[in-house]
Amino acid sequence: MAVPSRIVAIDGDCATVEAFGVTRTCSLMLLAEEVAVGDYLILGAGGSFAAERVPEEAARAALDYLAAVLAGGQA
Amino acid sequence: MFPEPRIEVALTVSAGAVADVRLRSGRLTRAAALLAGRPAGEAVRLLPTVFALCGTAQTLAGLAAVEQAAGIAVAAPHRAARRLLLLAETVGEHALGMARDWPALLDEAPDLEAAKPLRAALARLRPALYPQGDWSRPGGGELRPDRSQLADAIAAAEGAVCRLLAAPPEAVVADPAALTAWARQGAAAPARLMGRVLAERLEDFGCGVFRPMPPGGPADLAGRLAADADGCYVAQPDSAGEVFETGPLARLSARPLAMALMAEHGNGLLARFAIRLMELKEALRDLAPLVHDLFDAPGHGTPPDATGTGLGLVEAARGLLAHRVELAEGRVARYQILAPTEWNFHPAGPLVAGLTGVPAADVRRRAALLVNALDPCVACAVAVEGDPPCMRCL
Repeated sequence: MAVPSRIVAIDGDCATVEAFGVTRTCSLMLLAEEVAVGDYLILGAGGSFAAERVPEEAARAALDYLAAVLAGGQA
Repeated sequence: MFPEPRIEVALTVSAGAVADVRLRSGRLTRAAALLAGRPAGEAVRLLPTVFALCGTAQTLAGLAAVEQAAGIAVAAPHRAARRLLLLAETVGEHALGMARDWPALLDEAPDLEAAKPLRAALARLRPALYPQGDWSRPGGGELRPDRSQLADAIAAAEGAVCRLLAAPPEAVVADPAALTAWARQGAAAPARLMGRVLAERLEDFGCGVFRPMPPGGPADLAGRLAADADGCYVAQPDSAGEVFETGPLARLSARPLAMALMAEHGNGLLARFAIRLMELKEALRDLAPLVHDLFDAPGHGTPPDATGTGLGLVEAARGLLAHRVELAEGRVARYQILAPTEWNFHPAGPLVAGLTGVPAADVRRRAALLVNALDPCVACAVAVEGDPPCMRCL
């Protein structure tokens, strides 16, 4: 499963992203498009590289679903 | 905090060999159940974001399941468009694994010079097929193929793969001699990884009994999923007690290259890495001809009261992916996903079989090679009893 993470800061080719209250850094080097603070990203397995940008509506829907997974004890 | 799914592999060494292999999976194999209650189309739209690794295959499996359950016949141009998207994802998963993960196994930096243009090329395909972004609509979105854009993107992907391998892929996998020559020349990271396998005589490392997944999945798949009330089957599947391996080697084991390598070295590292190169070549080759099968086609809708059961099967890059859905009055009553990692990283699957009994020397690094060759869809940590864990981001 993938957790959409919101960009809170960008420093060159690295971004600081946040999801479920946890921040981490990831590389933007593999992204096919420009991104900005506030955009949502899907990280590849392991979390080192951002894999793709996700539209905000899709990201919020996925985060709601994942919150239900967490609350339901599935995670 | 949302836990990051991962697999932990614990190796116990005794008398100079691996005596025991234990897997601990943090995979959320039952999370798909929470799609229940949503309208069918909404559930499918969630798939590429929530199950983003192999997100195209996940979505296509979900579409196939929902369409079967709803009795929707998908028009031929949509089937061709979906096939193209699936092949493109296969190209991307294999090639980006070679650009990002294979160098890490050599303690080299990722090959971003090859990876970035490849990602950019592949990202152009969806909008060149479904400009309204509705490719994940059951029955098909508004298909308006832009053949010029598609041809350009495919050509760019071919060029990026050639740069990644420092050779045309068809030349690399022409036969065992060509593969060996390319590997020993070592002009690119994937070649150097194969070269290391050859130089360290690891061709047969990880061999075990070869039980390839039957085409179309196990005969009892639909019944076992239907009866899986507690989710145990999707967490640790089997078929009459047998655990199959799924993925490129299972799919392409009849190719002359696979047969030659397996005859000499078994289903070890050399055959597994080589067949991923072979599948990369074949998927890339099959992209362009599909463009001729694409035509404008209108979108479709899901009947609001659709009721029924559907099973969607897709051969994703990592292996057979199964989605099963029960619809009632147009809403999801039950949703299940069985992913290839649950077969390949099963306690009785090919990873455990391949590591049991191997020599203890350098086993943590070698086990990481086998993990990568089998290509799990989550991060996987390998630990040898008494050693700190070795995390590999896969």
